[in-house]
Amino acid sequence: MTDAELITRTRAGDPDAFGALVSRYYDACWRFAYHMLGERSDAEDVVQESFLRAYLAIGRYDERDQFRGWLFRILTNQCRNALTSRGRRTRRFVQDEVALETAAAPPSGLPLGVEDAALSRALAQLDPQQREALLLKYAEGLEYTEMSRMTGVGESALKMRVKRGVERLRAILGPIDD
Amino acid sequence: MTDRDVLPFPAPDQDDADIAARIAALYERTPATDATQADRCARAVLAQAMHQSSRSALGVSRTRWWWGAAAAAVLITATTRPWRGVVSTQEADSAVGRAIAAATLSGTVTPSDSAVRFDLTLPTSASAVAIVGDFNGWDQNATPMASRDGTWSANIPLTPGRHVYAFVVDGKRWIVDPLAPQVPDDGYGPANAVVIDGGPQ
Repeated sequence: MTDAELITRTRAGDPDAFGALVSRYYDACWRFAYHMLGERSDAEDVVQESFLRAYLAIGRYDERDQFRGWLFRILTNQCRNALTSRGRRTRRFVQDEVALETAAAPPSGLPLGVEDAALSRALAQLDPQQREALLLKYAEGLEYTEMSRMTGVGESALKMRVKRGVERLRAILGPIDD
Repeated sequence: MTDRDVLPFPAPDQDDADIAARIAALYERTPATDATQADRCARAVLAQAMHQSSRSALGVSRTRWWWGAAAAAVLITATTRPWRGVVSTQEADSAVGRAIAAATLSGTVTPSDSAVRFDLTLPTSASAVAIVGDFNGWDQNATPMASRDGTWSANIPLTPGRHVYAFVVDGKRWIVDPLAPQVPDDGYGPANAVVIDGGPQ
């Protein structure tokens, strides 16, 4: 069944049709939210809130749009809201006064899993706007026109964010790259 | 119009291909969610939507209660000054944290053939302790530690290389082992590091 058919049925009050839409796009939404927010539970909350907003607004959905793009427009907004409200509150560490030596540098020839962790941590250190642009461009594989429609940000600004994001990633990852 | 036509600066060069490929690969390798998760989400959304609909159907008008709620919020804010409470809470947390670090908090990391065992001894009681790090996406729900005789432990299979980690006490207080090596604060606060020796056999 196509997205359009499921949307028509959802509008008619068929909960199974909405469930099918959620099943179809849940993983894609969760993956984006997880890499944007870096926390599994936050990603689940944001995805659920996004589907709720989509459900409540489905009467206003324009069939000329791709459902996935429309849904991701809601999702990117919710991720931004979550990042704004979260700030640094969940990362409150206790500082210790003792001077401690820095851990040894990572060994060369990192296995794949460690490389993933390094990239994941590097992405987490980016400005959220750069991270969003990089994920939409290189992970979701979107064109700048689609990204612009989705985020409400001009194409030139998005290109700049991708460029700066790549530069920053290189700066962070540089020491462990060959 | 192409991307190049509207770009006021040089187009992303071909060197970005390696970063693009790495990001795409990381994205593709993200573990799929639990099969029931989407179903639970759909049910929760429908329940919430029904709740909101029933409120509307019962005639709960936003404009009617809005002014009352706003007035109550102003009154509560003016009398209790909640921002003072927030400051006090943060100071209290820091004080507790310093006390813990200065007392007998200690941890050990014991590599074995199949996993690395992390032990943490807290001088005060805690109802739950979790270990977070690059190996579980810094997810405080992913790896709860088990308590035995006042020591919290977790066995984690780790690939060789450097791993960064911290502990979360009672779901809200992030602490580090003061006697273990730490990595510089990269904006998220300090964290411990451990290097697992050995490459592919």
